[in-house]
Parts: sequence; C-alpha cells; structure tokens
Amino acid sequence: MPRLIIDEREIEVPPGTKVIDAAERLGILIPRFCYHEGLGAVGACRMCAVQFVEGPVKGLQMSCMVDAQDGMVVSTSHEEAVEFRRFIIECLMLNHPHDCPVCDEGGQCLLQDETVSGGHGLRRYQGKKRTYRDQYLGELIAHEMNRCIHCYRCSRFYQEFSGYRDLGPLQIANRVFYGRFKDGPLESPFSGNLVDICPTGVYTDKPSRYKARRWDLQRTPSVCIHCSLGCNTVANARYREVVRVEARFSGEVNGHFICDRGRFGFPYTNLPGRPRTARTAGGECSQGEAVAAAAEKLREISSTFGPQAVACFGSSRNSLETQCMLKRICRLQGWQVPGFFVDPALERRVRAAVSLLDASAGVSMREVERADCVVAAGVDPVNEAPMLALAMRQAFRRGAEILVADPRPIFLPFPFIHVPVSMERMDSFLEGLARLAGESSDGTGVREADLLSQIVQNGGLASSDLPLPVSFCRALFGSQNPVVLCGTECVRESTLPAAAALARDLRKGRDRAGLLYVLPGANAFGAGLLNSQGHPGFSRLLESVESGSVRALIVTESDPLNDFCHRDRLLGTLGKLDLLVVMDFLDSETARMAHVFLPTTTHFESGSCFVNHEGRLQYAEAVHHGGIPIEQAGGGSHPPRVYRGDIPGEGPKAAWVILAELGRTLGIPDRDLLGLGPWSLIGEEIPSLKRLEGTVFPPEGIRILSDGDPVQWVQGPEARDGEDDRGAVPPGDFFEILLTHWTFGTEELSSRSGPLQKVEKEPYGMMHSDDARVLGFSEGDRIVLSLEGGQIRFRLSVADRMGRGVLVLPRHRKLAWRNIPEMPCFVPRDRIRREDS
Amino acid sequence: MKSLVEAAKALAEGFATTFNHLFRRPVTEEYPEVHRVLPARTRARIVLTLDPDGEERCVACYLCSAVCPVSCISMQSAEKEDGRRYASWFRINFARCIYCGLCEEACPTSAIQLTPYFETCERDILRLVYEKEDLLVQHQGKDKEYNFYKVAGVVTRLAGKGEHAREEKPVNVKTNLP
Amino acid sequence: MIMWFAGLILLIVKLAVVLGFLLFLAAYLVWVERKFLARLQIRYGPNRAGRYGLLQPIADTVKMLTKEDTIPDGADKGLFCLAPAVVAMTAMLMFAVVPFGPELSVFGRKVPLVITDLNIGLLFVFALSSLGVYGVALGGWASNSKYSLLGGIRGAAQMISYELALGLSLVPIVMLARSFSVVDIVQAQERYPFILVQPVAFVIFMISAMAESKRIPFDLPEAENELVAGFHTEYSGIRFGLFFLGEYVHMQVLGALVAVLFLGGWRGPFLPPPVWLFIKIILVVLFMIWTRGTLPRLRYDQLMTLGWKMLIPLALLNIVVTGAVVLF
Repeated sequence: MPRLIIDEREIEVPPGTKVIDAAERLGILIPRFCYHEGLGAVGACRMCAVQFVEGPVKGLQMSCMVDAQDGMVVSTSHEEAVEFRRFIIECLMLNHPHDCPVCDEGGQCLLQDETVSGGHGLRRYQGKKRTYRDQYLGELIAHEMNRCIHCYRCSRFYQEFSGYRDLGPLQIANRVFYGRFKDGPLESPFSGNLVDICPTGVYTDKPSRYKARRWDLQRTPSVCIHCSLGCNTVANARYREVVRVEARFSGEVNGHFICDRGRFGFPYTNLPGRPRTARTAGGECSQGEAVAAAAEKLREISSTFGPQAVACFGSSRNSLETQCMLKRICRLQGWQVPGFFVDPALERRVRAAVSLLDASAGVSMREVERADCVVAAGVDPVNEAPMLALAMRQAFRRGAEILVADPRPIFLPFPFIHVPVSMERMDSFLEGLARLAGESSDGTGVREADLLSQIVQNGGLASSDLPLPVSFCRALFGSQNPVVLCGTECVRESTLPAAAALARDLRKGRDRAGLLYVLPGANAFGAGLLNSQGHPGFSRLLESVESGSVRALIVTESDPLNDFCHRDRLLGTLGKLDLLVVMDFLDSETARMAHVFLPTTTHFESGSCFVNHEGRLQYAEAVHHGGIPIEQAGGGSHPPRVYRGDIPGEGPKAAWVILAELGRTLGIPDRDLLGLGPWSLIGEEIPSLKRLEGTVFPPEGIRILSDGDPVQWVQGPEARDGEDDRGAVPPGDFFEILLTHWTFGTEELSSRSGPLQKVEKEPYGMMHSDDARVLGFSEGDRIVLSLEGGQIRFRLSVADRMGRGVLVLPRHRKLAWRNIPEMPCFVPRDRIRREDS
Repeated sequence: MKSLVEAAKALAEGFATTFNHLFRRPVTEEYPEVHRVLPARTRARIVLTLDPDGEERCVACYLCSAVCPVSCISMQSAEKEDGRRYASWFRINFARCIYCGLCEEACPTSAIQLTPYFETCERDILRLVYEKEDLLVQHQGKDKEYNFYKVAGVVTRLAGKGEHAREEKPVNVKTNLP
Repeated sequence: MIMWFAGLILLIVKLAVVLGFLLFLAAYLVWVERKFLARLQIRYGPNRAGRYGLLQPIADTVKMLTKEDTIPDGADKGLFCLAPAVVAMTAMLMFAVVPFGPELSVFGRKVPLVITDLNIGLLFVFALSSLGVYGVALGGWASNSKYSLLGGIRGAAQMISYELALGLSLVPIVMLARSFSVVDIVQAQERYPFILVQPVAFVIFMISAMAESKRIPFDLPEAENELVAGFHTEYSGIRFGLFFLGEYVHMQVLGALVAVLFLGGWRGPFLPPPVWLFIKIILVVLFMIWTRGTLPRLRYDQLMTLGWKMLIPLALLNIVVTGAVVLF
C-alpha cells in the first residue's frame, strides 16, 4: 500500500490509485476536466497539474496520469503548479463563447468553477474566437460545440464506455470537433449521460432546456422505477414539476450512469391530464367522500356475498409500502389474496426467481461488470434493462466472454456470441452448459465434442452455430467469476431453475458464480416476496368475476388493460363488476372505467421503497409536495395572481395511505394500519424483513437477501394451482409469438414521456429471414396477423441472427398486441399474410 | 468650583445653540408639493430595458433571482423560435423588494435596471407584484450600447455561427487541408 | 340645603372646567412639544392636519382610540389594564390642590379658585407622585416583557431617588410659608416670589421635577434606543394613550407646582390670575421642551450620582441654611 504526502498530509491508498484520487480521499479536489472516475484518465486537459516535490517522480506532472507511489510528496498549491493551471484555464477559455447567461450548464458547470478556481478572471486575449457549426443530435441532447474544451470525455464515454460509434472526434489540431458524421439522432440509449459528464455546456438536456438553473431545483436522491434494476438517480423539481432526472453514483447498482429511459421517462408525473381529484359515479368529489363511498359499497358486498367477493390487484410498480398495505388489508378483511401480475405464468416466474436467489448467488450490476464470463438466457438487456447492457460491456472491456441465448434478435454494444435457442429448448441448452461445466470441474477430462453436439441438438441450433459455443465453453471452463443472467419476461417457467442450476454447478470449484434475474417491473421483487399461495392467478380472478362470485375489485396503481393480452375479454369482465375501485397517478384506461377513483402520488411526491432485481431495498425520497405544476396552473403565462394557503391539486395521497384510510373506514383500528409505521408494516407482512425494523437506511440501500434457506422468502410451498404451463409447442407448423419490451415505447410509465415518444421507433415485427422467405415476405412488408381476438397489423423486419419459428412483436401502444388471446401464443403459418397492396 | 463654572458654561452654550436654531429657516423639503430631482443612479423602481434593436434584453438567466437577498424576483426562461432565450414570465414582488440593486449588478445583459422613480405605493398588496408587462420599458435605460446577442456566440436571428463580434468563420470539419 | 346643592354644583363646574382644561392642554402640549422641538431642530413639525398642524392632537386622539388594543399572551391582565389608569389618574388628581386664582365672590358667596384647599396639600402632591410610579412599575412588570420590566425597574429606582430630592427641596418653602397648604404658600408670596430667596431650591426642584415626569434627559424608563419603549413597550391603543396623557398632565402639574411654589402662582399684574398661572405653566413646560432639545440622556450611573450625591446633599444644606436664616 503506497503511502504518500499530499499538501503536508499523509495518506495510504491501494496500489494503482491515481494521485488525483488519493487527493480526493483527503478532501482535496484537484481541478480536472478530462479525468472522470468512471471513464479513467487520458491526460488531455492538463488541468490537474500538481508539483511533485519529492519521491520517484519529480516536477510538474498531471496528477491523473501518475500512480500513487511510496515516498511521494505532492503539493497542489505549489507556485509553479498554480501558475501552470492559471495559464491552462486561460488557454481553454480563449475560444469559449460569451454565452453563460443563455447556457443551461451555467450554475452546474465545471468550466465555470475551474475558471474561478484557476484564477482566470479577466479575458486578455482580444483575437477572434474559433467557431463550429452545431449538429442536430435528436430530441434528447442539444449540441453547442463552441463551448467545447476538448477533454474527450464525451467520446470516451460514448465509444469506449458504452460502445456506440456514431459520436466521436473529427479533425485535427485546433479544429477538433465532437459530433456525428452527419446530423441525426444519437443511436445510443445512454446518450443522456453526455449531459452529466460534459464539463461544460456542449451537450445539454433538451427536454429540460431553459427550464431551471441547478440552484433553483429541489434535488433529492431517488430511484429509477422504469425497470427492475433500480438505478440510483437524482430527481430535480421546480415549481411543482419534476424537470430533470440525473444519474446518482452508486457503487453497487449503476455506477455513474443511467439509461435514457430512466433519465427522460419521468414526465408521466407532470402530465396535464394527470388525475388529481377523486371521482365516484356522481362525479368529482373529495378524497374522503370517495373513500367513504367505496367503503360503504365494499361493506355491502362483503355482507351480501361474503368477503371473498372482494379481490385486490396491485402491480410491480407499486411501492413496497403499498404492496404490504394491500396485502394487510386483504388479510384483515378476509378478502381474496391480492395479485400483482396479469400473467399467472409471469407471476409464478417472478416467485420462482425470488425464491431461487440467495445471498451467495445473487449479484449486483457491479459484480456483473467484474465477471469474466457471462451467460445470458432469455434476456434482451438493451431493451429490458438497458443499464445491464452497459454493465455487460464493462465486463467485455475487462476481457469477459459473453454469450446470449435467446431466440430474439439481440443487439448489444459489444461483440458477443448469440445463440438463438428457442424458448422451448432454453432449459436443455442451459442444462447442457451446466453439465459441461460440471464435467470440467470434475477434472475427468472434457469430452467437449460429445457434450457440444448434445447442446447443439438440444438447442435446436444449426451446425453453423457450433464453433462459437465451443470457444465460449472453453472460456466458461477457464473463468473464475462467471455470471448467469436470466430474463423472466419471455422465458418458460422451467428456465429459471435451469439458470439457477447452471450457476450452482458453476460455483463448484470456483469462489463465485453469480446469478441475476431481470424482473418485470421496479418492485417485482417485492411482489414476489409478498405473493404467496392462495392467489388464484389473474385468469382465475377473471373467471370468478364472470361467474359472479367476485363482485368488487380494488386496483392499486395498476392498469390491467395496459398489460393484459386479451383486451376485449377484460373490458367485458371489468364491466360486470359491481364495484371497481382504482387508485392511480396515471390517467389509465382502467382508471377511466372505475366506479370509484382515487388519485395517488408518484414516488417523486411521497417517498417510497422499491426492491430491485437483486433484492436491494432502496428508498426514493420525495422531491416535492406535488400539486399542479405552476406552468400548467398559469396556462403558460405567469403563475396565477392569487394568494391561497393550499397547493392547487395537492389532493392525491400515497396509495398505501389511501388504502389505510379505506381500511380505517371499514373498521380496522389505525394502530394496525398507518399507526404501524412503514418499517413495521413491511415487517408484519414479510416476516423475514422483521429484522430490518429500526434500521437506519443506508444510502446504498439494504440487500435483503439472506444466506439461509432460500425457500423462506416465499411464504409456504410453491403454489401450483392447476394452471399448467402452456409452454409446450403444439404439433404442426406454428409460429410462437414473443411479446417483448423495447427500450423506448413499451414500458408503461416512460411510454407516456413526450421526449421519449419522439425518439421511439415505429413498432415492427421481426422474424427470421428464412421464415420470411418461406412465407414469401420481405423486409418492410405490411403484415396482418389474424387471431381470434382480432387482427394485428405491423411492418415486418427480417433478421438472420434470431431463432426460427418465432415472431417477435413489441408491446408497443401503437400495435394492437392486446388482440392476442393468451400468452404463450402459437399461430399457424396460414394466419400470417401480407396486407394486400 | 472651576469645573462647576465650566459645566454651567457648557450648559448655557448648549441651551443658547438650540435657542438660536429656533430662528433658522427649516431645511425640510415638503415632499408631495416639492419634488426633488433624484440622481439617475438612485435605486428605486426596477425596469426591464430593451436592447438597441428594440428586443427584450432579458435572457432569463436567473442570476438576478439568485442574487436577490429577499427572493422577490421569479421568472421562467423559454426559447423563441430563432433560439433566443427570453423570460416567458418575469415577476418582481415590490412588496418584498429592498431596492438593494444587487440584481442590476448581477445582470449580464444590462436588462434589469433600477430607476429613480419610487412612488409605487398601493393599498392592495397584490398590485405591488409586477409582471413582465409592468416592468418592460421602451428604452435602453442607463446602458445605451450593450447588445448581448451580438457578442454571445449563440445562433439567433441577429447572428449565426461565426457572425458575432470577434468570431472566425465556422470550422470546416470535413476538410483535409492542414 | 340649597347652599349645599349650590356648593356641589360649583364643585362639579370647577372640576369640569379644570379637568377639561387639563386634558385639552395635555393634548395641545403634545402639539406644542412637537412644533417647538421641530423648530429647535430646524424642521417644520406637524403641518398636515389642519393649519399649522393644529388638528394634529385630534387626529392623534382618534388614531389612539381606534387602534387595536392588544394584551400580550403572558401578561397579568388585571394589572396590565390597571397600570395606565394609575398613571393618568394620579397625575390628574395632583392638580386638585393647585390654586388658580384668589377667592372669588359670586352672588355674595365666596368661591375659592382651587378644587380643594388641603392643609397638607404638598404632602398630597408627594403622595400621589409616589403612587404614580406604581403605574410605571406595575405596567412594566405586568407586560411580561424584558424591555418593559427593565423600564419599570428603572422607573421605580429613579422615582425613589428623585422623590427625596423633590421633597427636601421644598422643605425651605414650607419653612418660609409656615404651611403645607398650597393656597397658603401662594399667599406667602404676596411680596415676592420664592425663586428670589430660594434659587437653589428652585434648581433642585426643576431638575427633580423633570426626572419625576421621566423627561429627557431623565427618560431612562423609556430609553427607546435601549429598551424599545421601556415600560410601555407592550401597550397600544388607548392604554398607551393613557400613559401618554399621564406624562403630559404630569408636565402641567409640575409646571403648575413650579409656578405656585416659586413663581408666585396666579399673581401678576394686569391679566386675570388664571391667565398668569397659565402663562407661567407654559413657560415652565417650554423650558422643559427646550431642555429636551438640548441635552442628551444621562447614563444610569450619572442619574444616580446626580440624585444621591449632589441634589440630596445640596437640598439638605439648603434646609440647614434656610433654617438658620429663619431661626435667627
């Protein structure tokens, strides 16, 4: 461990630490532009010069380029270094335009800070400034190249860190330009990070352009809820409106960056149409009246038909508090056990994932970055959980071999091995890999050829795919720290245990082998923890409604009409209900059907807990109090000229608070509801979390996975209530339809974001080029898919690197995918035809 | 004894001085009847001025609202079609303003200026909340010359890239010449 | 019976006239003070309400009557309300023994131009003056405010100190007049006013009188730049008005006492006796205002030094000298 002295203070740092980082540990922030902890050092800006007084290195050096060594004596305030930095900042400012007042970076600009700290107060250069033409970089990022100081942070992030190639440096000498070859939207779904890392205002956030200065923003640590990864963010609000979301550093979850879905997906909380007043059949009313009306009707129904005639339904975007309160009320009132997923198979898969993860297996994204071999099964990282793709890229940059087994066409921003195994054969493919790993660790000698041929057979692969897995299998045998990633959205139920088994087998003879499930929704893990035996599954629930045994349905922050396949059936069923109570912050279709509607707050307005894919309980603090944004209240002009004591539109409350009020109105004493406080409430409903009671919440969250018996996470034995897994491919020539998520446009909350709607692609379906050739289709054809539920029209795109016999459709709002009667869905080939032209 | 005499003398002097003042003309200016001409730099009612081209000078940079010690300035910035940044609304609460002039000092475009006019009293406190329409004046105020967008370097209707004061023509990024 | 009624009516008329005059004068003394002080400071003074601001006292009264009357939360309500009344009442009662003219003959009936001629008139004055300090001390204490309390304590300390000098300075007068009755003291000045024989007593009395009425340079109980407004910090509206009234009535009473004890009271040529008394009172009051416009406030230790180390010994000395002169 090198010991060195910086500014007369001694510090010991791990080997390989740069002097600039060592100084930061002492609380000395050496000025820098190009150096970024997440991107590393290049020594481009020359701003971090310090004087090395004694030791192995002497003289003026860049502190970001020198490793800390024993015996170094460093002075950051040495006369020579200060003078040098003063000249550097003056040089960097030579061509900088005079536009701080109209630049969005002003107030959070590193260049401003370092200009002041460098002592460059007055411009001495009277010559002409160099200028650039700016480019159109899409709807998310604004470009203003005049401000550039050529630190290379953007190109290093964009090309090296995230692996996209369409933005980078051009030209030489004094003309270096960062941009695209031609104007056009940035291809990377991580482009928003350019805003965060650019030390000045070259890249600024377009959706929040000219909205606010940093010092005017209410800022609070928050958590992204647009996928199950739970990336840490900073939410920024002003004038009762969330204006910006930025990445927050988290050593374990997302590192320094977030994806664009998380960054630009927040506008659902500001939408003008967001419901803010309660409604009953008689029209708008106060929250109290609506709760009373709901309670009265509920009491009537449960006394007439019994408490089992009341069912509740949550979702994976509920906060943990809401899920627990929902469960609690159902238990105390004797109502049906609440469900959280519209797809019973998905519900079981989530439950299985939660039960299969334990502390020794579950890994965070940071651990994925450190893996030296990654197997991904049935997961499309860029589309389902974008930041996972970046984590995998970091593993790739460290030399990891990466294999993705998925019938869908997968794109990742780095070279990887794509094995288009069908969902049907995924398990046996994984089992084969597991056996291979087991063989190798036994040391009995690898009969590779045999096993590989078996894998290939099981996987239903063409023999041309063979060489790639062979090289990969070698890497897998040699790896020290492999990680298995597994999706839950499209895979069969049996794939989850197969992935866990692979991880378990890999762990033999190694220190570690990780397992990571990508779950459907920000708090799917919480739903999985809570969901226990006794819940009949959503289809059973619908049958009970149709048969009349369930009369009332309470839906909390959930939109079954958005998620459920068979839309017509669901519409009819919901119409049969005597009472539909909906609590939501979205103006969803289900909410519009409600007999009693109660508006709720988003997680930006009332702090809430979410459990991410690895079982990390994270708290998102409230950033503002809610209410109608001032921009809307003022109708675009100045805010209304009135004095009033209340906040307009502050009616909504957190869903779990409303649930508690409903419970209290129904006669449950308050000490069993809100009186418990959030920790006890969670502890009461999830007994294994009782130990957390009274814990001071650490900023990085609490990993709630325990080392013990994984089964304890799910209360009681696995409930198999008769619904068979209809995964078996029916005989004959069928296409399996895979409903998938896209980075933009399919996730429930972010698809309501105006800026993301501008960048999302028009929906299209995909099939293998061989299949298309057989059917006589070609790229760009308009295709009609006729199902019992109705027709689905889409444009076709063909690909070579995907499974045969699958048709991949996005869950896009512009695509009529809700005409699919049930998942999984197999369609005969003759039902697919080209639209008559 | 001597000190007693001195004390008596001092007292008498004091009384004499004040007595003499009785016969001097009062220096009071009787304000509503007599209006004194105040210096141009007197700090009173705030205005938003126009640049020499007749466009609003304010670019809604929020510096005045940041520096305001009583937080009486609020605004919302927005973008015009030509890329010019401006205040979509701008509000000064004169019921709170202490006329310290820090906003004028902070203003990078000479937009916000204090004028000598101080008779802004109102009975209804809401009428002391001035909106942009109330604040805008049709002249340049104390700074007749400055035109921010001519030197700023950002593209507006006024000037494109390389057309501002002391700017070179934009770099051709596709050339091969050294 | 009829005579008794006539006497009663006479008394009521006298009371009404004196009280009315006293209150009217108190109100206009405010105007006089403000105007006079303003001229001393080269200002105009009030000149908006009526010509020369003559309606200012009326405007002030209306304002005071219509202002919100607040009582602080922690205050002792009873005492808080009582205190201003004590101050105003004692000041007004003092005037009862001041003669404003010789005996008058109306319809053959002798009418003394004094409300009541007590044979211990001077003691009565001192007694009331001592009572007045209760108003200040109680008001200061009952307000439950640190500033008021400090003001009240200062008031009490100052009163005790200067009451002594005030009393002692008048002993020679009593010795000369051989009576405590104020009427008799005026009678005793038939040939010459006592100021001529008792200049030292006059000076001590003037100083003490200003201290008694808490006027600059002795306004320590109010000392607005240290104690906000001293003992009446928490008072507003008409209660504050009563304190105010008390102060100005006190000024008049003390002016009247100076006139009666040293300046020959209502005596004077050509003009009717009450007018002479009025002129003398006004002169004394104007002097007090002039003093206010000239001298700065004393420090607390200077106040005490002046009282205990100078005025009281001087008054005692004056008594001894006067006694010796009278004796021999």
